[in-house]
Amino acid sequence: MSILDRRAIMVDPGVLKNSGHYDAIIVGSGVAGAIIANELAQAGKRVLIVEAATETDRSFKGYSSYLQHFYGQADKDNQSPFPVNRNADMPRSGQLRKLDPLEINSTSYIVQSGPYVTDTVYTRAFGGTTIHWEAKTPRMLPQDFQMQTLFGQGKDWPIRYHDLEVDYELAEREIGVSANVEDQQYLDITFRSSYVYPMHGLPLSYLDQRVAAQIDGSEVELYGERYPLRVRPFPQGRNAIPNQKYDGGKGYQPVGAVASHQIDVGGRCQGNTNCVPICPVQAKYHAGKTLAKAFDTGRVDLLSQAVASRVVIDSASGRVTGIETKLYHDPASPDHHTIMITGTLYVLAGNAIETPRLMLASGLRSSSGLMGCNLMDHAYLLNWALMPQICGTMRGTTCTGGIVELRGGAFRRHQATFSVDIHNDGWGWATGSPASDVVELVDAGNKFGADLRQAIIDRVSRQLLLAFMIEVLPSESNRVSVNPSYTDLLGNMRPVVSFTVPDYTLRGAAYARQFAKTVFARLGAEDHTKYDPSDYGFVTYEGEPFAIRGGNHLAGTHVMGTDKATSVVDTNQRCWDHDNLYLVGAGSMPTIGTANVTLTLAAMAFRSARNMIMQLGRLHAPVQT
Amino acid sequence: MSVSRRLETFVAFSAEVTAFTPTEVWGTGLTQRYLDTVDGVVGTAMTDALLNAFDRITTQSAGERTAKLRQTVFGCEQLGPVARAVVKLWYIGTWYALPAAWQERFGPAAQDGTFVPTPDAYVEGLLWSAIGAHPPGAKAQGFGSWQFPPGIPKF
Ligand SMILES: Cc1cc2nc3c(=O)[nH]c(=O)nc-3n(C[C@H](O)[C@H](O)[C@H](O)COP(=O)(O)OP(=O)(O)OC[C@H]3O[C@@H](n4cnc5c(N)ncnc54)[C@H](O)[C@@H]3O)c2cc1C
Ligand code: SF4
Repeated sequence: MSILDRRAIMVDPGVLKNSGHYDAIIVGSGVAGAIIANELAQAGKRVLIVEAATETDRSFKGYSSYLQHFYGQADKDNQSPFPVNRNADMPRSGQLRKLDPLEINSTSYIVQSGPYVTDTVYTRAFGGTTIHWEAKTPRMLPQDFQMQTLFGQGKDWPIRYHDLEVDYELAEREIGVSANVEDQQYLDITFRSSYVYPMHGLPLSYLDQRVAAQIDGSEVELYGERYPLRVRPFPQGRNAIPNQKYDGGKGYQPVGAVASHQIDVGGRCQGNTNCVPICPVQAKYHAGKTLAKAFDTGRVDLLSQAVASRVVIDSASGRVTGIETKLYHDPASPDHHTIMITGTLYVLAGNAIETPRLMLASGLRSSSGLMGCNLMDHAYLLNWALMPQICGTMRGTTCTGGIVELRGGAFRRHQATFSVDIHNDGWGWATGSPASDVVELVDAGNKFGADLRQAIIDRVSRQLLLAFMIEVLPSESNRVSVNPSYTDLLGNMRPVVSFTVPDYTLRGAAYARQFAKTVFARLGAEDHTKYDPSDYGFVTYEGEPFAIRGGNHLAGTHVMGTDKATSVVDTNQRCWDHDNLYLVGAGSMPTIGTANVTLTLAAMAFRSARNMIMQLGRLHAPVQT
Repeated sequence: MSVSRRLETFVAFSAEVTAFTPTEVWGTGLTQRYLDTVDGVVGTAMTDALLNAFDRITTQSAGERTAKLRQTVFGCEQLGPVARAVVKLWYIGTWYALPAAWQERFGPAAQDGTFVPTPDAYVEGLLWSAIGAHPPGAKAQGFGSWQFPPGIPKF
C-alpha cells in the first residue's frame, strides 16, 4: 500500500461548529478507536476523532524523534520514548513505591489507593498504547468465555468464541498477524477450515530451541491430570513472510512504516529486540497504520490536543448530547479553552482506565453501579536463571515462544491459569540487565579488560527469563474511581486505582513458581530468582514471597452482559443507559483468561462498528462524502 | 601531553580496559566525545593523571600491565572510580555518577551525574558486540537471525 499524503485534518476548533455533522465522535485514537473510525468511514460515515495527545508521530520524523529520545535516556523505562505531557499525562513505573497500609500515593498520574501497587502503564500518544505494545496476539480459548459454567469461577461472557471467530479473523488481518494455524491449535482453540494467518509464523529463537530441546515431550501433573509441555511460537502482530494461501490464495500485503512520505521500511521484522517500547522500523503493528487508511477516505477528521472532559447527557432520554472537550495549545502549559463537540453517535475508546474515568467524572456510574468496577490486568510473575550453555540472549523479537499448555484445564476450578513467555531480552525486566550486569561486574566484581569481556558473555548470553502471565478474575472491589481531590493540570479528575491480587491468582502464582523450578531443573539452569520485600509489587501468599508485575492488559471496567442490572454495555458494547453511546475496548471484557487483550478488543471493535453502521442506517443519518 | 597524544593515550587505555582493539574503539566514532566527557566531569588535570598512570606501563607485558593497572589505577582511591566509570561508559554508553564518597573527598565534580553523553553512545555500546547481539532498537541483525546460535566474536 502506498502511504502518501493523508488527508488527516488537524481540525481548526474554531470552524468545528460549522464543519457539518459528524455521524460519530470517537474519543481516543488507539486501536479500538482507529478500527471503528476506519470501518465507519469505509461505510461512508463522517467521523471526528478526539485525541488528548499531540500528533507527534504522524510524520516519520515525529516517530523517529521518539527513537532518539529513547536512545538518549539513561533510564530506559518502558515509557522512555514518550516525552512528558502533563495535560494528557500517563502512568510511568519509575514513579512508584510501596504503600504502607491505608496509604494513598497520588504523586504518580494514576493515584494508587492500594493495597497492591500496580505498575501497569498505557500510552497517551497519537495511536494510543499500540505504539508501545509488544504485539502478542493470541486468541482467547473457547473455555475462557464460560468460566462460571465450566469452572464455577468469574463470569460467563454473553457471547461465545464462535460468535467472535470471524471478527478474530478480521482483527488478525487488520493487525497483520504472523503465525501458523498448526502451532495455534491447542487446548480447545479452533479455526475455520482452510483459514491461514496473513503471514507465516516467526521462527523460534535459538534460546527457545535450547529450552525446547530439554522440555518438549515432558509432562507436569496438576490436580491429578497430566499436561504435556512444549515450546510453541506465539502469534505476533509484526511483519513476517506473507502467506500466499491467505484469503483464498490472494495473499497478504504487509503494511510497513506509515508517514506523510513514502518510506520503504518495516515490511518485515528485522529483529531489533525493541518491540517494547518502540519498534524503530514499524514492522510491529500500531494503530497509526489503521488510522492512515481511515484518513485516506477523506471522511475522518482529527482533533488532537483535545481532552474529552465530560460526557453530557439529556436527562430525559439518557442520550448523549455532546462531549465537553478541553483544547490546550501547548503541552508545556495548562492554558486551554473548552468546546462542546456533537455528533449522532459517541464512542469512548480511551482504554479500560480512561474510559470509565471519563464516565465517572461525568457523574455516569451506570444503573448497574459497575462503571469502573471489575478492573482486571494480568499478574506477571518473573523467574530468571542462567542456562548451562550460551544461548545468544538479547536477539530477536522480545519474545518468540513460550509454554501455553496450562492456559486451560480442569484445575481452573481451583487456581488461575498462566501462559509462560520465554524472554529473548534476558533478565532486563527483572533486574535491569544487561546494563546492571556490567555495572555489577565492574564495580563489585573488579573486572576490566579480557576478564570483564568474558564475564559479560557468561553472564548475559546465558540468561533465561520466564515471565508467567497469570489470569486475574473480575472482582467488584478492584476498580477505577475518581475523586475531586486528585485532578490533573487541566482540572480533569485523575484515575484512582484500588487493587488486590485475588487469592485465586496467587494460588496460580505459587504454582507458577513451582513450575519454574521444575523447568529450570529439567534445563540444568541456575535459578537466580529472588523477590525483594521492598519491591512495590511484593506480596506473600501462605508465607511464600512474590513480586507481582502489572500486565498492561487493562480490562473489565465497563463490563458487557445480558442485562442492564448486571452490566454496563450490551454485546455490541453499547451502553444500556445511553443508546447513542458506545464504550469500546477491553473494558467490556467480562474475563480475560490468558490472552493478551488487544486481539480480542480489536475483534469486538469490528463487531461494534457493524452495529453502529446499522444503527446509523436506522436513524437515517445524513451520509456526507 | 599534546592534544593528539592525549587522545591516542585515551584510546589505548580504553582498548586495554575493554579488551577491544584500538581500531574498534576508534570505530565507534566516540573517542573525542568520551574524552571530553571525562574531562568535563573530573577536569583535565585528573584525566591527565589517569592517562599518565597508564602511559607509564604501556611498554610492559600484558600480564604485568594488568597487575599494575590494578595497583595504580583501579586500586587508586582517586583514579579507580574514574577508570571504572570509563569502562562502563564504553560498554553501556552511559556515564554513571561517581560514588558519593569520591565526590566528598575529590570533588566537587560539578558535571557529574548519570547521563548518556549522546544518543549514539547507546547505539555504540561495546556490550552488544561483545555478546554477538545488537543494541535493542538499532543495528538489527535481520529477519530470522535470532534462530541461529550467536556469533560471539573471539578476542
Ligand atoms: C508495554 C506494553 C506491552 C503490551 N503488550 C501487549 C501485547 O503483547 N499484546 C496485547 O494484546 N496487548 C499488549 N498491550 C496492551 C495494548 O497495548 C492495549 O490493550 C491496547 O493498545 C489498548 O488499545 P485501546 O485502543 O483500547 O486504548 P489505547 O491504545 O490506550 O488508546 C486510547 C487513546 O485514547 C486517548 N485518550 C484517553 N483519554 C482521552 C480523553 N479524555 N480525551 C481524548 N483522548 C483520550 C489516549 O491518548 C489514547 O490515544 C501492551 C501494553 C503495554 C503498555
Ligand atoms: S524485533 Fe524489532 S523490527 Fe521486529 S518488531 Fe520488534 S522492534 Fe520491530
